[in-house]
Amino acid sequence: MTYHYSKALMTWFFLLFFPWIAVAQEQLSADHVKIRVVAPQSFQEGTETTVGILFEPDPEWHVYWKNSGDSGAAPKFALGSPNAVVGPILWPTPKRLPVAHLVNLGYEGAVAYMFTVKPTGSGTLHLEINLEWLVCKEDCIPGFGDLVLKRPVNDQPTRWVADELKIIETFRKSVPSDSESAPYQLEIFQNTSDSLGVRFAKVADRDFKELDIFPVDQGYLSPAAPAKDEKNKHVIFKKNLAMQLPSDLSFVITTPSGVWEFSNVEVKNRTKLPDQTFNFVQLMIVLFSAVLGGLILNLMPCVFPVISIKAFSLLKSHGKERIKDCLLYSLGVLTTFSILGLFFLALKQAGSAIGWGFQLQSPVVILILIVLFWTMALNFLGAFEFGSGIMNFAGKQSKWSSSFGTGVLSVFIAAPCTGPFMGTALGAAATVSAFSAFLIFFCLGIGLALPFLIFAVAPRTLAWLPKPGAWMETLKQFFSFPLFATVIWLLWVLGQQTGTQGWMVASIALLTISFAIWLGDTSKGWKTLMAWLLALSVLFWAGSQLNRYTGSQGASQQESSWLPFDEVQLAEYRSQGKAVFVDFTAAWCITCQVNKQAVLDTQAGQNLFKKHNVILMRADWTQYDARITKALASLGRNSVPVYAFYASDGSGVKLLPQILTLSIIEDAIKNP
Amino acid sequence: MNRMILSLAFLLIGTPSLSMAEAIPGTPAPAFNVTDAKGKAHTLSSHKGKWVVLEWYNKDCPYVKKHYGSGNMQKLQKTYSDKGVVWLTVISSAKGKQGHFTPEQATQDHAKNKSAAAAVLLDESGEMGRAYGAKTTPHMYVINPEGAVVYAGGIDDNNSANPKVIPTSKNFVAMALDAGLAGKPIETSSAAPYGCSVKYN
Repeated sequence: MTYHYSKALMTWFFLLFFPWIAVAQEQLSADHVKIRVVAPQSFQEGTETTVGILFEPDPEWHVYWKNSGDSGAAPKFALGSPNAVVGPILWPTPKRLPVAHLVNLGYEGAVAYMFTVKPTGSGTLHLEINLEWLVCKEDCIPGFGDLVLKRPVNDQPTRWVADELKIIETFRKSVPSDSESAPYQLEIFQNTSDSLGVRFAKVADRDFKELDIFPVDQGYLSPAAPAKDEKNKHVIFKKNLAMQLPSDLSFVITTPSGVWEFSNVEVKNRTKLPDQTFNFVQLMIVLFSAVLGGLILNLMPCVFPVISIKAFSLLKSHGKERIKDCLLYSLGVLTTFSILGLFFLALKQAGSAIGWGFQLQSPVVILILIVLFWTMALNFLGAFEFGSGIMNFAGKQSKWSSSFGTGVLSVFIAAPCTGPFMGTALGAAATVSAFSAFLIFFCLGIGLALPFLIFAVAPRTLAWLPKPGAWMETLKQFFSFPLFATVIWLLWVLGQQTGTQGWMVASIALLTISFAIWLGDTSKGWKTLMAWLLALSVLFWAGSQLNRYTGSQGASQQESSWLPFDEVQLAEYRSQGKAVFVDFTAAWCITCQVNKQAVLDTQAGQNLFKKHNVILMRADWTQYDARITKALASLGRNSVPVYAFYASDGSGVKLLPQILTLSIIEDAIKNP
Repeated sequence: MNRMILSLAFLLIGTPSLSMAEAIPGTPAPAFNVTDAKGKAHTLSSHKGKWVVLEWYNKDCPYVKKHYGSGNMQKLQKTYSDKGVVWLTVISSAKGKQGHFTPEQATQDHAKNKSAAAAVLLDESGEMGRAYGAKTTPHMYVINPEGAVVYAGGIDDNNSANPKVIPTSKNFVAMALDAGLAGKPIETSSAAPYGCSVKYN
């Protein structure tokens, strides 16, 4: 059809094939959607009135918001009037509409896109609306059409049909207001290389708890609900890595206090990693909890025997010697924490994230700890004398290095016992400046060393310790049992990582080393040499056997009710409107195991999940797993346990406390 | 002992490499291994040394129709195939979902469209689509001869479904290929993809 065919023929053609745009009018009906203008019966000259274009899609079909999300398209409006000033489109707040693992932003059910009209003269208002829209269920159908509105304009107040005005008023409520009047402020920060945070300043608890936030700019951020951190009052969006972030972003936020649009919020440090700025008081609180967390580590079942034996050895020494010992021990703790802190920061700077307890992700390190604790336990029990000092576990070392070494050891074995305080402090360390992060590590060290630092600073406190005597030997023997218990636990961890094979290898190593100790202890000369050779070669053999398992999939059995963690699957379940509980755990994390045994895997716990149709996923971090590390980072954490609950209503993720109870879980399920 | 534990921990954990499951401009393109409609296997490395365009396709998507109905897509395919670019059409629709094709149907459709694409890859598992982070049809990727993604996103800057806007739209794929083939830097390496969602299972 060429252009010079008459317009009449064109019209006829359209009438035949596109009947819905036959005659420009106030309403039209297209595939799966009805569209009409919602306007007053008459306008008042010079007065701004809100007019709407009502879209009524068929059930289950939807139309889109201005950012349509992962796919789809916003409707396009071309508005024109010769005798009125027409404002920009007012978009009601959208809903998240999941499609497979993608998310769209739009409206299921009726929606009115609105704009203001201010007639500039009396007579008849004439408004032309050219429309393009997309209506989708899973399939999408685009549509094009024109609407025309003609209404009298006079000097009387705008006259509405009540029902029509009600439609406008209803949708007007969810149109965002300008952020200037909002009771809180936004700040964008870079969280990790693939996520972006939005921090809320001066926000009321209730507002934050119930808020929802939508990115206005298409393509940069995932339209899926961001992870919410109620404690730090920020949300974390996933970034679309293919797109370079612009210099500013806009968001629409719904809260009980109102709906606001924050336009052009500056994106800070676009290329650098985020540095959360703490004010002095916040920093002090974080540092204080770091000290407290470190102090609590002293009481952990795996650390306590080592600390106690250290305390014993103090009773044997006197005066200045004691103070020197205490200081050396503290120095050992602080040096190790500082080195770990630097290592942690170096990796963070390199763009990677690791988590606390990472030392225990290597089977070889576990083997060494098993052998160490086994040997110590045998020594405590009196099976052999290892040099002269009680604590000379690492061979013939001078006294000072023994104290220093105990400090180092304490840090390593304390690591897996991530207490709740440690979690907070280390989570903060992952997001703050290098200097603050280092301070946090240092304060954890101070906490762990605190009892001995007190002994050193105030030697008088040493008098509170009981007098040395024969009881010390008995107590020492007694403490071998917690150490044996630790060996059992570590063997179990090793079994989780490597299967029964690794467990066997480690047991053979223990047997051989016990034999070597017996051989070396009962005789002199070549037999001692033999003993050393035997012990070293079995260690080497076991180490090389276990090294093969590093990074390989563990032989851990997944209980049937728990699915292995998979982000894609998680997104899918969420899109299907299912509630999901994710258990970020590791075999070497004691808190995790306690929660598992006492809450999650109990009959009552399982029944609770089943009753509410909660899908269970377990992210096992026993061995290093980049995906889990990333998933943790996107939740603002870098240690386990983390318990993430995704409610079935599609609202954001909720992080549950590190010490779980059934009622906490039930509460989270019932009050998403 | 302390040093030993430390160095072991450092060595064994190493620097964890983060594998990103998405095609990001400036980084190596994700590998794939998908059979085309004629039964031939395609991998990224089999096209090494050539410019590659990946075009996500769904015959029933109005936005795909916009570019095929107007002949815009075929014209691009022809222009750049003539210059040695390997143009691969990818279908990630799952079995039973809109746009899914058997090999025969895909071949017929290819002929009917007069498509100049070198092959139609049938990714019904969605594995390749997910690896690239393909969200819409058409979602476009341009890969350079070294195997790095140089463009990812929508085909142009106008997300209207109306073919009339094509002549006035900025075609990012053509711009990327023109610049790349001429050895010039590529100005726009990403844009928001638009269109229908890829019909994954």
